[in-house]
Amino acid sequence: MFCFDNTFSAVSEKIIFFELILDNMEDLEGGDPDWKEYVHGTDMLDMKLEDIMAMGADGGSEAAPATPWRKVLYERQPFPDNYVDSRFLEELRRNVGVRRYRYCAVAREAGLVAQQVSCVAAVLTLWSYMAQGRLSPFMLLGASLLCALLGYVLYEALGGPRGSERTRWADLQSAAIFLAFTFGFSPILKTLTESVSTDTVYAMSAVMLLAHLVSFPYAQPSPPGSLSLNAALFGSVCLASRLPGALHAFAMLTCALLVFALWPCLLHRLRNRAPWTFPWAAVLLSLAAVTGLATLSLGGALLLVLALLALTLLCPLLLLRLQRHKDNIHGPWDEAEIHEDLSRFLH
Amino acid sequence: MGQRKRPGARGSLTSATPGRIALPARKSAKHNVCMVSDFFYPNMGGVESHIYQLSQCLIEKGHKVIVVTHAYGNRKGIRYLSSGLKVYYLPLQVMYNQSTVTTCFHSLPLLRCIFVRERITVVHAHSSFSAMAHDSLFHAKAMGLNTVFTDHSLFGFADVSSVLTNKLLTISLCDTNHIICVSYTSKENTVLRAALDPEIVSVIPNAVDPGDFTPDPSKRDDGKITIVVVSRLVYRKGIDLLGGIIPELCLKYPDLHFLIGGEGPKRIVLEEVREKYQLHDRVRLLGALEHKDVRNVLVQGHIFLNTSLTEAFCMAIVEGASCGLQVVSTRVGGIPEVLPEDLITLCEPTVGSLCEGLELVIGRQRAGTAPPPAAVHSRVRTLYTWRNVAERTEKVYDRVATAAVLPLDQRLRRLRARCGPVAGSIFALMAVLDFLFLLLLRWLVPDSLIDVAVDATGPNGLWTQTWKG
Repeated sequence: MFCFDNTFSAVSEKIIFFELILDNMEDLEGGDPDWKEYVHGTDMLDMKLEDIMAMGADGGSEAAPATPWRKVLYERQPFPDNYVDSRFLEELRRNVGVRRYRYCAVAREAGLVAQQVSCVAAVLTLWSYMAQGRLSPFMLLGASLLCALLGYVLYEALGGPRGSERTRWADLQSAAIFLAFTFGFSPILKTLTESVSTDTVYAMSAVMLLAHLVSFPYAQPSPPGSLSLNAALFGSVCLASRLPGALHAFAMLTCALLVFALWPCLLHRLRNRAPWTFPWAAVLLSLAAVTGLATLSLGGALLLVLALLALTLLCPLLLLRLQRHKDNIHGPWDEAEIHEDLSRFLH
Repeated sequence: MGQRKRPGARGSLTSATPGRIALPARKSAKHNVCMVSDFFYPNMGGVESHIYQLSQCLIEKGHKVIVVTHAYGNRKGIRYLSSGLKVYYLPLQVMYNQSTVTTCFHSLPLLRCIFVRERITVVHAHSSFSAMAHDSLFHAKAMGLNTVFTDHSLFGFADVSSVLTNKLLTISLCDTNHIICVSYTSKENTVLRAALDPEIVSVIPNAVDPGDFTPDPSKRDDGKITIVVVSRLVYRKGIDLLGGIIPELCLKYPDLHFLIGGEGPKRIVLEEVREKYQLHDRVRLLGALEHKDVRNVLVQGHIFLNTSLTEAFCMAIVEGASCGLQVVSTRVGGIPEVLPEDLITLCEPTVGSLCEGLELVIGRQRAGTAPPPAAVHSRVRTLYTWRNVAERTEKVYDRVATAAVLPLDQRLRRLRARCGPVAGSIFALMAVLDFLFLLLLRWLVPDSLIDVAVDATGPNGLWTQTWKG
């Protein structure tokens, strides 16, 4: 069967199929068997009008190509330059190395995001209590120190890779230096933003805490990334400067450091050493944050619950849904990636 | 020249010349071609030499060819290159990597003026990285001129930047008459990126001038084995791999030397390796090479190494083979299509695989079983010639000349249909605005008032006469 394709025509686009019936087949077979060597299945079908005309122009001596097309440039092949072989795009690969996610696993990982949101909510609740004078700074300081001590003991008990030369003495030293400096500078911190309007301070701390949540290194939370930690501490300093006294500011900062700097380290170790504890810790923390917020504002607590549920249950579902639409194409045109570690040759 | 011999007269092998697209019975018409690209001399690179060589061969065949590019520093206005190739250096603002700023409209007055003055029939744009090329296609379609586009590079699909550029390419190419790619892999890539009908994409490889790259075994020192690398020292050329190969092989073979030509940000990697392993006398970094010096570097070596991570065609390995060197290369992009298996050793893009391939070739070199340079050269010299490229490109022009340029309404419909509802509509609006702008320009300065430029090019052009006279 011949097919005449005149898609290049300006006037109309149509494909016409012709059935070519050779009624003198016996004659040909007997008389001139040569032509059959040139006709191989679909080769003939893929020819264009031009090719057929070209054959005519060449005096009909040239038949359809007997050699199959090869994907090489160094050989002059009997095909037009715009020839499309059936092997076109055969090296195309789709969705290579796509990971199939399980809902439980994704939801569990999303718990990390939820607990970080809860942490921010908890710090804000504590700040609000102090601003209203319903929580004394001594109480917060005492609770913070107790938590820090408990956490430190737990951290050590869980064991794991210790920083090379870091002794307990060094830890104590840094803690003492931090406490002393924060305490010494707390009057300055208190008056730091006095010339700035309260609205600006609130807006700034909101933006900073959001930046903390966005830039938090969820994949590798220990040690907390410098951008996220700095954003969180800056937000805390802004908030602390609106508290009634210098001691309040000191307590607030100690608490913020505990939550934003030390807690992620402990949580990371918990996840590594005792994975079963992580969902419990996340749920407990979220519950604590929600109840804390509920005592201040029921609406806020409801919104927080909705946000946490959306983060842990809805977003993973969405990810799994969208994963189905993934259509990534790969082929020989992709830039090769260097997977080996080549720095060993340099250092 | 004008009367091209029909292939039938030259035996059956050549009668199967690829590129038989146009109706061969008709004598090839003369085209007035305008090559447009941001990349042209004095900038150096594959696209630049492609445009230059192709233009020269087309002029030789009697076509009129002009080149349009942007001003390079002090080089602006009109310049003539050999055989009267006229180059317009337009005063357009360069933005990044020698690519011009595009607003889709501001280049229309200049380009229209050139297209009308030079009586252009075919606009041939080069390189998808060139904003000017896409602009010219856009305006040429508005003016009803035939358009051809040559894509010289490969592009991925995975990241945000490629998603955006691929969308732009789809928009730019959806109503372009014909597209040329430099290898089959490049064709697959372009067809996928721009969602094209593969029938309107031709594969015409690049070429090298075999006369420029002749072997000279007397220049090399057979007492040692020299590996030559000539490439820009950038990440995409796999220079990090080279930084791993050098110490690995230098420790194993005390008579091995490296000769590295080219410049770029990854030079520091090679310098560090050279420093750390104390290879100053065995690894020579030559810095940037002029095109005319490349051959003199190549002939000093036994093995040509190419470590590219992506490559549409790779002229460098053809140049290396043409100088009679054993070629070792990564198997990426269109490279496997370029040289016959017995002239190239293909490896995976890892240090281990490349070292294995190199050791194989070093062994062959030591045993003396490697083919002599002259034999390699004689095989390569006929593979890729600019004459052949020009002949095949000419057929594309012949075919394009018979195709109709879509009128505005069909262009708009195709943009909406092929490029998605949002981008398609935006660019349909742009096309309408461009057309209105063109009407305004035609009203201000009618085509009939624009002077026709004297065609100086061609074998019997005014250019040669004035020089003789």
